[in-house]
Amino acid sequence: MAEIQLRNVNKRWGNFVGVDNFNLTIADKEFLVLLGPSGCGKTTTMRMIAGLEDITEGEIAIDGRVVNDLDPKDRDVAMVFQSYALYPNMNVYENIRFPLKVRGVDASTHDERVRRASAMVELDDFLHRKPAELSGGQRQRVALARAIVREPNVFLMDEPLSNLDAKLRVSTRAQIKNLSHELAVTTIYVTHDQIEAMTLADRVVVMEKGVVQQVGSPTEIYDRPANAFVASFIGNPAMNLIDGEITDGIFETRNTHISGLGHADGKVTLGFRAEDAALAPEGDGQITAPIYTLELLGDATMISVRIGQSLVAVKTDKSFRAEIGDPVSIHVPPDICHLFSTETGQRIEG
Amino acid sequence: MASKAQQRPLALQIVLLITLVVWMAAAAFPFFWTLWGSFKVEADFFSLADWTNALTGRMTSMETGEAFTAQGYYGAWIQEEFWRATLNSVLVCLFVVTISLTLGTLGGYALARSTYRYAFWFLLIALIFRAMPPITLVSGYLPVFFEWNVWGYLPTAIIVLVAINQPFTLWMLHSFFKNIPQDLDESAMVDGCTRFQAFRHVIIPVMWPGVITTGLFSFLLAYNDFAVTAMILDKQNQTMVPKIASFLGTTQTKGNVMFAVAAVVSTTAPLFLLIMFFQRQIVSGLTAGAVKG
Repeated sequence: MAEIQLRNVNKRWGNFVGVDNFNLTIADKEFLVLLGPSGCGKTTTMRMIAGLEDITEGEIAIDGRVVNDLDPKDRDVAMVFQSYALYPNMNVYENIRFPLKVRGVDASTHDERVRRASAMVELDDFLHRKPAELSGGQRQRVALARAIVREPNVFLMDEPLSNLDAKLRVSTRAQIKNLSHELAVTTIYVTHDQIEAMTLADRVVVMEKGVVQQVGSPTEIYDRPANAFVASFIGNPAMNLIDGEITDGIFETRNTHISGLGHADGKVTLGFRAEDAALAPEGDGQITAPIYTLELLGDATMISVRIGQSLVAVKTDKSFRAEIGDPVSIHVPPDICHLFSTETGQRIEG
Repeated sequence: MASKAQQRPLALQIVLLITLVVWMAAAAFPFFWTLWGSFKVEADFFSLADWTNALTGRMTSMETGEAFTAQGYYGAWIQEEFWRATLNSVLVCLFVVTISLTLGTLGGYALARSTYRYAFWFLLIALIFRAMPPITLVSGYLPVFFEWNVWGYLPTAIIVLVAINQPFTLWMLHSFFKNIPQDLDESAMVDGCTRFQAFRHVIIPVMWPGVITTGLFSFLLAYNDFAVTAMILDKQNQTMVPKIASFLGTTQTKGNVMFAVAAVVSTTAPLFLLIMFFQRQIVSGLTAGAVKG
């Protein structure tokens, strides 16, 4: 049982704001992902929960107990570091056993617990090796095993996959998902990779410049981004955003003419996802422009056109072929459109 | 198996070998000359008539009846009590190394992990003190030591040597610690260690080569020191190096040069053994910390 509460948590270094007024309750057994670009405060937030960083202002409570002044060792958390931070002088077995040893856990249970943890991450055959003799993926699994061996209340993972190559990342991601399902422990996972966030999370916190932009399930943040930043950060490709003006329910900018939007007149940013739009017969679509680039993805073809400053992408059939410069017409019905205030970036409910 | 491309041409191999032999001979010659000569009498080793006497030992045979004599060693060790100086040196080195390393590892670690800017200035000031010739410090200490009546004792010399050595150990260990990722301490702390336990169980085991290298340099500083020990220790408490100097005599007293030669050999020999014993740690320590850092 571990519910984590962050109340008005702030982190400042001099005038620099690392984390600004973070409020969140993380439910027991929840898998929470902190997502954002580098320098957005996500790692700092995790380090404050771990106790590796002082909290400038506010309170963090684990299971109702305020932990602001507790040392990391007294918070009953386990952490997987981006660099894995394995102890180079110890072999895999000793690395995994280390938390049990320093915490004075009954020595007779060590062997069984180490073997169980290493079996969970399929490291049984490497127990006698030193970290230097392991591959990146194996090191990563040692770090995982060392975190789970103690059965802590909270798991913290700081970009655990970012040092792996692309293929290994996918399989390890699946392993982490499976592991977290089996262990059912509150987990906080930091990443800048929105696919990791979408695939792993029960809930995602999107952060930028120390400020929480949106908290929600992966579906919520994907389907209803709270602002233009979240829209532009989530999804592959990210949501198309076009600046323009609405007059009498008609959104208009160069090459673009979308009617049927029930919103007051004025400047707005319009967004839609590449997979929601489709190609239309020539002249029939809401956007008509020459092809800027055409990418074959295998399962689909991505066509981009330029509208003002922004590139607008559309996913279409994998057999579609055209030349760069050929005019295309894109079907953008009003019901797939999201509107954001051009000034504040906030979502405008339609 | 070496492929043809990897094999050096024969001429190059020969040149390399000759260079190596010449260099080895040049480097080792003074020591072997002294070692050989230390078993002769002064009339041979410092012969004005014929330098080959030092090799053949003509006068040694005439004076003692044998080609080799241990007179120099007997005179230095027993008659002049060089063993006392050796014991003093051991004590001084032991304490200087222990104290320097204790303060150096703790301080170097603290400075390496400090996020405050004063750590930088602290190290910079330490460097300035290190750059000063030790003798300038000693002349400042002397009046105070006379005043307090602590002049002449071993602990006084140890304190001064530690003070002179500390900036260097701090610098060296600081750069070693800097090379150890902070994640390691933090991981240990999350795993259940206090800051000190993380230091002891996780950081120090990784640091061994650095500690040994730094310890060796501290040892050499104390072992080889002349300026401080000659000025601060009285005759009873002299360490090896000032004792050797006193064998050479002064303008007032006649020394015995052969005692000095025998003492020089006695002082140098342990260093060879020490370096050979620790050579692996020294090399890995130098490449891990000092070079990369």
